[in-house]
Order: sequence, then structure tokens, then C-alpha cells
Amino acid sequence: MSYKCSRCKRDVTLDEYGGVRCPYCGHRVLLKERSRDVKEVEVE
Amino acid sequence: MTEEYEVEFVDLGEREATFLVRPITPAFANGIRRAMIADVPTFSIDTVRFIENSSVMFDEQLGLRLGLVPLSTPPGEFEEGEEVTLSLDVEGPETAYSGDLVASDPMVEPADDNIPIIDLKDGQRLELEADAVLDSGREHAKHQGGVAVSYRHLQTVEVVGERGEFAADDPHVLRGVIEEQEADAAADADAQNGDLVPTDAFDNDLTNRYPEKELDVHDIEDAFVFNVETDGSFDVETLVLEAVGSLETRADELKEAVQL
Amino acid sequence: MMVPVRCFTCGTVVGEHWEEFKARTREAEEPEDPEKVLDELGVERHCCRRMLVSHKDLVDIVAPYQ
Repeated sequence: MSYKCSRCKRDVTLDEYGGVRCPYCGHRVLLKERSRDVKEVEVE
Repeated sequence: MTEEYEVEFVDLGEREATFLVRPITPAFANGIRRAMIADVPTFSIDTVRFIENSSVMFDEQLGLRLGLVPLSTPPGEFEEGEEVTLSLDVEGPETAYSGDLVASDPMVEPADDNIPIIDLKDGQRLELEADAVLDSGREHAKHQGGVAVSYRHLQTVEVVGERGEFAADDPHVLRGVIEEQEADAAADADAQNGDLVPTDAFDNDLTNRYPEKELDVHDIEDAFVFNVETDGSFDVETLVLEAVGSLETRADELKEAVQL
Repeated sequence: MMVPVRCFTCGTVVGEHWEEFKARTREAEEPEDPEKVLDELGVERHCCRRMLVSHKDLVDIVAPYQ
């Protein structure tokens, strides 16, 4: 799972054991980046 | 069993018009109105593929905004259900406008170019591909070609006497179109009986046109004044003709179906 | 957030008038009377007028929090 640290803005990869925490700065707020897929939306 | 209808334009612009049709019944007038709203197909964006959207609005919100942009629809060129692809690619800092949509078919393009879609800040980007589909207002309001389509009776004003000497000096407000019948009493010297006069010509106040008279206003039973506006997909003339055409097609279909 | 593309009530396209309306009534050195501007833009009905008169762009306010 790839995230971005909200404080240092670096890409973070989480594994099962590390918990939710940025390995570079220790910040605990991570943001999930938008996927690179093309997203199809039905207009209603 | 062909009947003749008289159609007279009071005002004709590209996107709005006022016209009189007579003699027709209220049912037929309403049929025309409904056909103009629900049965004349127009192009509208229906599916959007977002390749990149780093703007402050969600994909779905932008999809909704794109769907409401009117697209020009040439009559008779496309079948209902046909699709045209449009694309948009704008990078901030800039505002993405409806005019930035590029269509694969030059006949289908945004009717208004300066509708803001989204304001993009530095580093934000919007790239998308959209499919516009031809469908009718019956399916979704975004496919309505006519907006604010209405009708009302043609009215006429009868002079029944002189205004009383001590009568209150109130305005006599009337909105719509009147057919002149009392040209002699009208303040306008060029007035002739049979003229069609929109009430805003005399500020919607009958006392301006017929000063010092006591008046009686009647509806003319079989005459209807239509007020039609389009969203820009086509001009008013196309809208009205297509609507009446669709009524005719359906009437013919019914006739065929009933005849054994 | 952004101006509505169409009037909620009648469906007339109002978004196309927004930039001119904003420039003349809110951002000009000497702001004009909104009533006059709307009349000149051809936004006639009160349902369409309220769409522009009561609108506030919020993109600039939200943008830093993305």
C-alpha cells in the first residue's frame, strides 16, 4: 500500500508490522494517493 | 381532415421567441409544450473518463457540471442513442471552461464557451474524455432542448365605458399578449384593430394604453401565445418544428396501429 | 464552490454570465448595480437572478487544504 506522509510529503509504503507511521519523520497522518487508473463516471 | 393553423410571431430571436397559434384546443397546446420539453432529443455528456483530476472537486461533481453544458445538436444528423466523444485537458493555474471541450465531431460542440467548469490552481490538472449521447428530455432533464416553455391564452380588452370621475387611480396590470380590438381608445395613434401587442409594450399596465376607460379583459378561447426558450442546443425554430414533427409521427403511428 | 452551470429552478444556462457579472459587480473599482448588470446580461427571471446574486466562489478558500 502506498501512501504519502502529510508532514514530510514523502512516499511511504506500509507493511503489516510497522503500524501507521511515517518511517522518515514519525508522523502518524498518512494520505492515500489517487490511483493512476482511468476512472469512469456515469453522469446522472 | 387537415386543419389549417395560423402561426404569427410576436418576437423571434435565436434562443427565445413568442408566437401565436390559432385555432387550437388547450389539449393540443399542452401537447406541443410537452413535446418541446420531453421529446426533442439533444446531446449531453453522459459518461466521463477521468484520466487525471487533481482539482478541488470530485470526479462526480465535475461529471455533473459537464453533463449540464448544452451541446449543439444539428437536427436530423444523428439517431437517438448515438455518441460523440469530447475531450478536455487543462493545466493550472487556469480555469477550465466549457469552450475547452474538444469534440470529435465538429457538428457537436459546446453551445456556450464561457461556462466555468473548475478553477485550477498551480500544479492542478484536469484531463478527461467524455461521451455525449443523443437522448430526449424524457430520459433526463439535461437532454431538454426547451427551457421555460410556456403558453397562455391570447387576450383581448374591451372598453365597457368611461372610468368614473372619482374612481381610484389604480394600475390595471396584465401580462401576456393582447389582440387590439379597441384601436380608437388606445393611446398609441398607430394602433389598428387586429394588432398583436405584447403587454410589456405599455409597461404591463392597461391604464397606460387605454387611459380613462373602464375595461373588461377576456381570453380568446382558441388562440394560444407560446413563450419558448432553448438552452442553445439549436434555435427556437428547430425546437418547435421538431416538437410538432414528433407529435405528427406519433399520431401517424397511432393511426397505423388502430387501422386493422 | 463553482457557479452552478444552470438555474436550479428553470434550467437556463446561467454559468456563462458569471465571470462578467462578478467582474462588473464585485471586482470593479466602481461596482455597478447588480440589478442593472443582470438586466443587461439578459438574466430575466428571479430564479436565475438569485443563482448569480447569491453565489460565492469558494475554490480559493478550499484549495490550500487539498
